[in-house]
Amino acid sequence: MKNTIKVERAKKDMTQQDLAEKVQVSRQTINSIEAGKYVPSTVLALKIARTFGVALEDIFELEAVDWA
Amino acid sequence: MEKNSILNVPLLSPGWKKLAFVFFPLPVLLVIGMAFVNPQSDPNDAAQMIYGFWAIGFGILNLTREKVEDEMIRSFRQQAFQTGFFWLIWGLAALMLINYLRYQSIASEMFTAYLVLFLLNLYIYGAFQYQKYMASKDEN
Repeated sequence: MKNTIKVERAKKDMTQQDLAEKVQVSRQTINSIEAGKYVPSTVLALKIARTFGVALEDIFELEAVDWA
Repeated sequence: MEKNSILNVPLLSPGWKKLAFVFFPLPVLLVIGMAFVNPQSDPNDAAQMIYGFWAIGFGILNLTREKVEDEMIRSFRQQAFQTGFFWLIWGLAALMLINYLRYQSIASEMFTAYLVLFLLNLYIYGAFQYQKYMASKDEN
């Protein structure tokens, strides 16, 4: 699953640490999500979307491999 | 979302890691001390003592909370327990096969509870650390 967290962070001028504190996870977790190494839970994905004030689908997008 | 309290596993505070690391050199020192006191002691007893202490050490490490115990770490922890058990089964099967090829017998005496617990906890710890390493590799 790909995401645009890095872009959204840049728009809001937020660091990974800022976002991590807002959604109550570690900076490493945010880094892993951005890098596509970790897929967040629905709750965390919704928290991230709400932090940026956008819809979930605007940040997270399924890839072909997710259907395999 | 509410969590089922029966299935909840309480974790130890991070300070317990210091105690866990005491369990690694301690049995080696005890075995050396025992060898001086009783040179006729059985080497198998020494091995079992080391396995037992190391099993406790790794067990404490596996049940100790990380500084930030968020959902990714919890997910790694759950995966580590599953992977550790998987590796244990295959590792024991491999040992049995090697034992059979060498001695033509599938003896179970070599698998003591201490050895199995040590291997299980070691594999769980290894799988957990590997996931943390992979997640932190190439950080932006």
